[in-house]
Amino acid sequence: MRYLRLIGLSFKMSILNELQYRANFVVQIFQTALELLVALGGLSIVYSHTSDLNGWSASELVVVVGVYFLIGGVINMLIQPSMIRLMEDVHQGTLDFTLLKPVDAQFMVSVREVRLWKLVNMIVGCVLIGVGLARLNASVDAGQALVFLTVLALGLLIVYSFWMMLTTCAFWFTRIENILVIFESMYEAGRYPVRIYPGWLQFTLTFLVPIAFAVTVPAEALLGRLTAETLLGAAGLAALMLITARLFWQRGLRHYSGASA
Amino acid sequence: MATVIRVRDLARTYQVTEREAGLAAALRSLVRRRTRQVKAVDRVSFEIDAGEIVGFLGANGAGKTTSLKMLSGLLYPTAGEASVLGFTPSNREAAFLSQITLVMGQRNQLVWDVPAVDSFELSRAVYRLPRDEYRQTLDELIDLLDLQPVLGVPVRNLSLGERMKCEIAGALLHRPKVLFLDEPTIGLDVTAQRRIRAFLKEYNTRHNAAILLTSHYMADVEALCKRVIVIHHGHLIYDGDLTHLRQQFTTYKTIVVKPGDAPLDPALLAAYGEIICEEVGQIQLRVHRLDAARTTARLLADFPITDVSIVEPPIEEVIERVFAMPDRENVEPEPVYEAV
Repeated sequence: MRYLRLIGLSFKMSILNELQYRANFVVQIFQTALELLVALGGLSIVYSHTSDLNGWSASELVVVVGVYFLIGGVINMLIQPSMIRLMEDVHQGTLDFTLLKPVDAQFMVSVREVRLWKLVNMIVGCVLIGVGLARLNASVDAGQALVFLTVLALGLLIVYSFWMMLTTCAFWFTRIENILVIFESMYEAGRYPVRIYPGWLQFTLTFLVPIAFAVTVPAEALLGRLTAETLLGAAGLAALMLITARLFWQRGLRHYSGASA
Repeated sequence: MATVIRVRDLARTYQVTEREAGLAAALRSLVRRRTRQVKAVDRVSFEIDAGEIVGFLGANGAGKTTSLKMLSGLLYPTAGEASVLGFTPSNREAAFLSQITLVMGQRNQLVWDVPAVDSFELSRAVYRLPRDEYRQTLDELIDLLDLQPVLGVPVRNLSLGERMKCEIAGALLHRPKVLFLDEPTIGLDVTAQRRIRAFLKEYNTRHNAAILLTSHYMADVEALCKRVIVIHHGHLIYDGDLTHLRQQFTTYKTIVVKPGDAPLDPALLAAYGEIICEEVGQIQLRVHRLDAARTTARLLADFPITDVSIVEPPIEEVIERVFAMPDRENVEPEPVYEAV
């Protein structure tokens, strides 16, 4: 309860902060439009040559792109901003103030920033999902919707843990902004279902940079392609990564308190 | 009185990487790093009681900030023990953190683009302060620091002094019993400095809080601290009254002589002590601490003088002398080569 309140207040602060710069909103709309154009343009080029990409139809891929936008929006709104802030704080030593508070530090650093305008991407994502499903004449019942939301949440936990581990590296290397670029370029690969990639890349995108669980698996849930094994796998991986991220963070923190000047 | 801070043989060693200037040296150091152990704090021991304000003095790099960080739980000591309010700081227990605060004059924790009062609201949730208790503390802080006009202004639009007042208020909302203040008045003008000083004194009296304060402004230290702890190259070299510090580290006093109607020939006075200042109507002589009384008596007997006074050297000068002392024990260790 107290932690919910802290999330609320923390987000409120961040939003208040962001509302001071309204130009960002316009920039965001422009940026989203551009991303959308690139994503759908890419699809239309691919499907002008074939009507079937390794078992996926054009409309199914529209759903995948929709999930890609939706999840990308959530990551860019909730996860990435706090992680970037954490990197800066470690670099500048301002993390000290967080460590002085009688609240779990990992929790605090994870909910500090929110980028409200990324809602635009989430809305676009939902529209794309709707359009894709309509073109497929697919109906999604309540059960399927629930499974979809579950794997969506699991995917987000996996991505969060992944980000958390990457960011924790800052305790040792101090400057790791380049890692960000790696994640973003990998995430772009998620515009297509990972099953269409060659084996080694599939493996990378599933287990090393777990984009598959964030985008492909939720899309599969909507399209009725999800197997029970994948669902369990996602749950298992989420739990494992959360725990690993936690232990790694605590190790990093010990190193920070041991090394910082 | 209750001891709230107990430090025994506290030590902290850093490993620093060294390289020569230039690109070639930078590339070399990517492969092979030369590191050196630096003792930032070396076997320091002291105790502080509730309600005490202690000045923590030392030159830049003497180990003050490192000590404060160890005491507030941000750094693990390399050796020795620290106990604050009965807790071991480095365990960072919530019960410990809710009773201390650390203010760093050179860093701010208030959110830049929103008014301070919004940041305070977040602190209220973080420290789980009941609304009426929070309101009461805030009112008190607003009153003492004169915050009312600045509370609703985004922090980035505040002057340095106003910002610092808000930072301090934000750091005290949970009414900590132990305050670690690292240069709380740095960069502020004299009025703002005085205001913060008066406030700290008042907070200390009202809440019987212990304050450990570092400052480069001796006025802060003189106004607030009866007791000072001096560290020099990581060693504790003095712990005691501020007034005794003068006696221990300076061997002279200044005699100010005001001549009568007839002007005095400074050349004659030179036999009594070193003339350090010569102005119309006033001559200053530096004499050994032990000779001060005798010389004064001789001056009065030998010359037509209207007034004479003995003055202690200003505290800045004392500190300067202390800081200029050579590092006695911390002999440079051999560099250690470490392949990475």
